[in-house]
Amino acid sequence: MLNRRLMVVLAAIAILVAACGDGDTTTTAADGATTTAADGATTTAGEDLVIGVSWNNFNEPRWANFDEPAIQEALAAVGASYISTDAGSSADQQLADVENLITQGADALIILAQDGTAILPAVQSALDQGIPVVAYDRLIENAGALYVTFDNVEVGRAEARVIFDLVPTGTYAIIKGNQADANADFLRAGFEDVIGEAVAAGDITICCETYTDNWDTALAQTEMEQFLTQEDNAIDAVLSENDGMATGVVAALEAVGLAGSVPVSGQDADFPALNRVALGTQAVSVWKDARELGKAAGEAAIALAQGSALGDVPSTIIFDSPGGNAMTSILLTPIPITSDNLNLVVDAGWISVDELCQNVASGTVGVCP
Amino acid sequence: MSDTRVAERAAEPAAPSRPRRNLAGRLLRATEVDTRLLGMIVALAVIWVIFNIFSGGTFLTARNLWNLSVQTAVVAIMATGMVLVIVSRNIDLSVGSMLGMVGMAIAILQSEILPDWLGFNHWAIWIIAVVVAIALGALVGGFQGFVVAYAGVPSFIVTLGGLLMWRGVAWAMASGRTIAPMDGTFQILGGGARGSIGSRASWLVAILGCLGAIAMLVSARRQRRRFGFPLRPMWAEVTMGASGCGVILASVYVLNHYFKPAGLAEGRTDIAFGIAVPVLITLGVAMAMTFFANRTKFGRYVFAIGGNPEAAELGGINTRWMVVRTFMVMGILVGIAAVVQVARLNAATTGLGTLAELYVIAAAVIGGTSFSGGIGTIPGAVLGALVMQSLQSGMVLIRIEAAYQDIIVGIVLVIAVGIDTVYRRRMTT
Amino acid sequence: MTQPSSAEHVEPPLVELRRIDVAFGGVHAVDDVTVNLYPGEVVALVGGNGAGKTTLIKTLSGAHRADSGAILIDGEPVNIATPRDAKALGIETIYQTLALADNIDTPGNMFLGRELTTPWKTLDDSAMEDATRKVMGRLNPKFTNFKASVSSLSGGQRQSVAIARAVHFNARILIMDEPTAALGPAETAQVADLIRQLKQEGIGIFLISHDIHDVFDLADRISVMLQGKLVGTVDKDDVTIDEVLAMIIIGKLPGEVTRKELEELHG
Repeated sequence: MLNRRLMVVLAAIAILVAACGDGDTTTTAADGATTTAADGATTTAGEDLVIGVSWNNFNEPRWANFDEPAIQEALAAVGASYISTDAGSSADQQLADVENLITQGADALIILAQDGTAILPAVQSALDQGIPVVAYDRLIENAGALYVTFDNVEVGRAEARVIFDLVPTGTYAIIKGNQADANADFLRAGFEDVIGEAVAAGDITICCETYTDNWDTALAQTEMEQFLTQEDNAIDAVLSENDGMATGVVAALEAVGLAGSVPVSGQDADFPALNRVALGTQAVSVWKDARELGKAAGEAAIALAQGSALGDVPSTIIFDSPGGNAMTSILLTPIPITSDNLNLVVDAGWISVDELCQNVASGTVGVCP
Repeated sequence: MSDTRVAERAAEPAAPSRPRRNLAGRLLRATEVDTRLLGMIVALAVIWVIFNIFSGGTFLTARNLWNLSVQTAVVAIMATGMVLVIVSRNIDLSVGSMLGMVGMAIAILQSEILPDWLGFNHWAIWIIAVVVAIALGALVGGFQGFVVAYAGVPSFIVTLGGLLMWRGVAWAMASGRTIAPMDGTFQILGGGARGSIGSRASWLVAILGCLGAIAMLVSARRQRRRFGFPLRPMWAEVTMGASGCGVILASVYVLNHYFKPAGLAEGRTDIAFGIAVPVLITLGVAMAMTFFANRTKFGRYVFAIGGNPEAAELGGINTRWMVVRTFMVMGILVGIAAVVQVARLNAATTGLGTLAELYVIAAAVIGGTSFSGGIGTIPGAVLGALVMQSLQSGMVLIRIEAAYQDIIVGIVLVIAVGIDTVYRRRMTT
Repeated sequence: MTQPSSAEHVEPPLVELRRIDVAFGGVHAVDDVTVNLYPGEVVALVGGNGAGKTTLIKTLSGAHRADSGAILIDGEPVNIATPRDAKALGIETIYQTLALADNIDTPGNMFLGRELTTPWKTLDDSAMEDATRKVMGRLNPKFTNFKASVSSLSGGQRQSVAIARAVHFNARILIMDEPTAALGPAETAQVADLIRQLKQEGIGIFLISHDIHDVFDLADRISVMLQGKLVGTVDKDDVTIDEVLAMIIIGKLPGEVTRKELEELHG
């Protein structure tokens, strides 16, 4: 009698354990039989997912203020956990960081590469261990990784279009970013797409062009001062690859009274830059709503962690990288912000009217009081 | 008078032997000028001429030299303090990060905190910002000095920690944001369109400088005569006075020939910028620091500690308190440099001042400061900063790639210190 | 255990170190030592390595505090906690290393820590140079290189700068630690002349030296220490070199040591 009761109880326990124990029925990516991540009702419970993010350096304003919160929000929507590391601009450190995240149990990685080439071994190692990788904003030449970015060549084109419209003929100066950063060359390629013809035809002369170590603001100021000296102020337009450097460029122009009459471009839509757009000292700042980027990367990481194949992640296309890899990519569209459409950034809650309109004379800009 | 001179020559044990007919040798000995300093001036001239040739005559224009003077300011200001730190057998690796932190603090103060209390463009904003910069620098510097002196942690380690910490604090203050713009009056401290004193005021400064140099020569001669010390020959004194005045007047002449573009001068093309405000600040700082180093007990004790710390202790000098003060002075100078840098950029970024410590140390060392302690000059450090900045700005002007720029600067640094080491060895053997 | 000196003294000694004790951990570097010094005399403090003579003298120069015992100047007890205190009492020390800052010139070293200032609190370099010239003129008239840093001076010249420093500040008590150790014969003779000159001026000198011949040349009395304890103080005129060596090495007074032991010293 006792034996039979015992047997029933044991059997019940066994069934309960079997039912509740193995929550993530992680199907392998190979057979592709999965469900998507977006709504959270999946075969793998979101709460059990750990997404690891490897930042290159928290010194750029946008990562902490926009990208990170967006990723965290996307993860929180399914209850996944967020772990991260900061490589302090060191490519070596980032290799160790990636290993660290894997050890901590990351199910998928989002990597903002300090150096896209140096990080390859860590990426390959992660993929070999079955951990999917999202290359965030900066290219990593490995076809096994999902490349989520704003189309950087398009950013370059967007910057150049605005400037080219304002200055179809004349002398241009080009201030590029860090030489080791692939984005610097993508942006330059975008510039080339827009002004290349005019340069070949002799309408536009590029008098001065340089890379800038670490995209450094103060260095950009010195570079611009030297260019102005060399050309005796005869520069008609400046293509600056980001807003940080544009700050330095505009300071140099201000010192010779040319701020406002020489159009300057930038990207990132950081607050001083948008303020300059409102004041008229910067012509355009290309807005990459980093919140969109973070959201897309976060959602993609979740999908991959739950077993989606690269090609099955929504909104992807194949992008042929410079290194000859067919990168599965999510390319978001950047929006150039000029004095005509400043309302976009205000309405989207990106920047407050007060910050945007500091020192702006009333009546000069629609969105400012 | 000639008797004492002869006796002095006979008694000099280690003077390098030069034939008496050699004019250069006689000139150097008669004026008692430091040959090393002269060597640096010659090296600077050579660099300038080379760059001028390669840039098609652009380097030696009034405009470029004016820019150069402003670009040098930040590093030069800090280098004057680094001399004393290194002389006292310490090092400060944290100055770049400290500059970033102080810069971020005063930027936030100016653009976010003070406008709430006082309203935008209040006349006191720039004053408060400067005072806060100096106070914060003194506090942080003093704290680091305290840990070095009283806890006995080597300055290399303490300031290495500072290098990491203050950069993090700078980031935390604004979550990595760039803060801009600065108060209108504050910007003047960084140069730029409104940040120079104009030609008339510059000539005034030049004349004052010239008179000051002559007054110093006269006063020194009078002191010697009063005590009956051997005098420098009159022709040597006149040569020195003339050269000093000449350099001052020539420099101001150059700065007064950088004319404002028509856009800044209401259509006129004959209004000169004159001496830039940051350059005035640098000169003021350099003069003050030279005075402290040579004419006060503080300076004398710093050199004593560097020369022989034990002797200093036995002489009754409170060496620990001296170390704290040395680092505090360094901190104050970082504060001033931060003001100039943020005003010039009209913004503060978290990366401000990155790697500045390397340039500051290089400037001090090129200027003759020795890591073994006890030896260094403030004017040398300012010249060292000028040499470094001339190299960097010149290289951008002639379009040398960033990577090659770094290589060249590194090579020049090693050569400069190498020459100095060999020179010193020859002088003492 | 002081043997009476040959001269009759009614006034108290210039300096008396009475029952000085200095311990590091459990080890007594100086163990209940009493020595004294009268004006115009040289007392040599001798002993082997680790005898404790440098530690003893440091209590007088302010570089180290005694754990117990008293220091009396002119019969009055005094408290010497720092080198400044010692200097204020007229005690000047010339260290073995001379305590000169190599990167500073002679006047700067003379006045190190005691600089002369103008009414505006700046250094009065000219006054310092003037005073230096005067005092160096007395001691070493051939010396004229006042502007060079002391690193370029010879050993003997550096020694004379250190002595001049002591003399200028009206030292009444001079402590000299191995003054001739790094000097050649000519310079040693120079220093010996200086010491004789100072004795004539009534200055009392404690002389630490390991050179027994120098000691016999310059000292009036000799105090011998061994392993922290005072073996005894003798008049130079009353003893031979061997007897002093016996005190240093074996620790036996001239009255106690046997001829055999004296011979064995050279064995």
